[in-house]
Amino acid sequence: MKLILVGIASALLLSIIVGLSRVERGPTPADRMLAAQLFGTTGVAILLLLAEAMETPALRDVALVFALLAAMAAVAFVKRAWHPGPGESEKGERP
Amino acid sequence: MSVIDVVSVLLLVAGTFFFLAGSTGVLRFPDVYTRLHALTKADNLGLGFFVIGLSLRADSWVVVVKMVLIWALVIVAGATAGHLVAEAARTSGVVPWRKPR
Amino acid sequence: MPGSTQLLSAAQARRPVERALLFAGVWFVVAEADLSSWTFGVPFVLVATIASLRLTPAREWRIRPAGALRYAWFFAHQSVAGGFDVALRAIRPSLPIDPKLVCYRLRIGPEHARVLVADTVSLLPGTLSAGIEEDSLTMHVLDCGLPVEEGTRLVEEHVADLFGIELAEEGGTIGPCEVGSVGTCGIGSEGAR
Repeated sequence: MKLILVGIASALLLSIIVGLSRVERGPTPADRMLAAQLFGTTGVAILLLLAEAMETPALRDVALVFALLAAMAAVAFVKRAWHPGPGESEKGERP
Repeated sequence: MSVIDVVSVLLLVAGTFFFLAGSTGVLRFPDVYTRLHALTKADNLGLGFFVIGLSLRADSWVVVVKMVLIWALVIVAGATAGHLVAEAARTSGVVPWRKPR
Repeated sequence: MPGSTQLLSAAQARRPVERALLFAGVWFVVAEADLSSWTFGVPFVLVATIASLRLTPAREWRIRPAGALRYAWFFAHQSVAGGFDVALRAIRPSLPIDPKLVCYRLRIGPEHARVLVADTVSLLPGTLSAGIEEDSLTMHVLDCGLPVEEGTRLVEEHVADLFGIELAEEGGTIGPCEVGSVGTCGIGSEGAR
């Protein structure tokens, strides 16, 4: 049973890796941000799964922090990090 | 393996499908708006399957409530973040991708 | 603070107690019912209650339990449909999407209700909220073939039911976001193509 759960966790890890290539590709800062969001939700799922599989309840607290951080990161990104003016939309685009 | 184990694993596999589909969408969809669709909707459903699947195996009801709380937090955070990122993309002039006709 | 020397009204006196109970409940769940954790839990509940009273002193809305149940059921099955819809579109080789930005004229007035409408819309099949300006909710639609207008109207009706508020007669329709912009999902210049 434990093996199955760890297998599922590995599949989720693969899902994160697939999604994270979007960080590298961009092209806009918003694309990179949403890949970070993906890391947040999938990370929460992995942590909840491992908390159960490895009987480590503390991992659920880590999942809780992940969920909170993902929200904070998105707000901070929109309010502070990304302030392109009009006409700057091409910034970061690759030809 | 008991019946509960089997049902639980099936739910977890279903959840994994949605996470993988969400990542596929983030990779394949053409612009930031469409990628946000994939991320918010598919991942929240995937996490839903996970929370239900893991709840079947949980030792106490408090753990179930805690997982539901985390799920709710992820849903609210995901929807709000999606809205903010889409709005920021729109106001900074990221033109939505249109299907070529 | 005006009126601070007067007696507190019943509602004002009840508010800190309600909030403290809520945070105590949250702590109980987060600590997974571990009694030894209350050495940290008690200060947490106190600080959270004070912070919450300072940040949001009064709450001008209330939730109707029956409306909340109807909203929860609507939300549950719509978000499942939304997840299936986008997952299948993402994995199909043909990538069947036909996206567009549209604007929906809101019928719902209060700010908190509008925020909930926007958040709910993002989890429904094919719609993603992308801003609220005055009475207009900007949405990104994943496929123009989806019944987006009906879906958004339903969201508004369920949120109104949840908070027990009335919807305006006008609005509830989808249109182009700006005059002269490209037609939106079969509206406007789309037919002239």
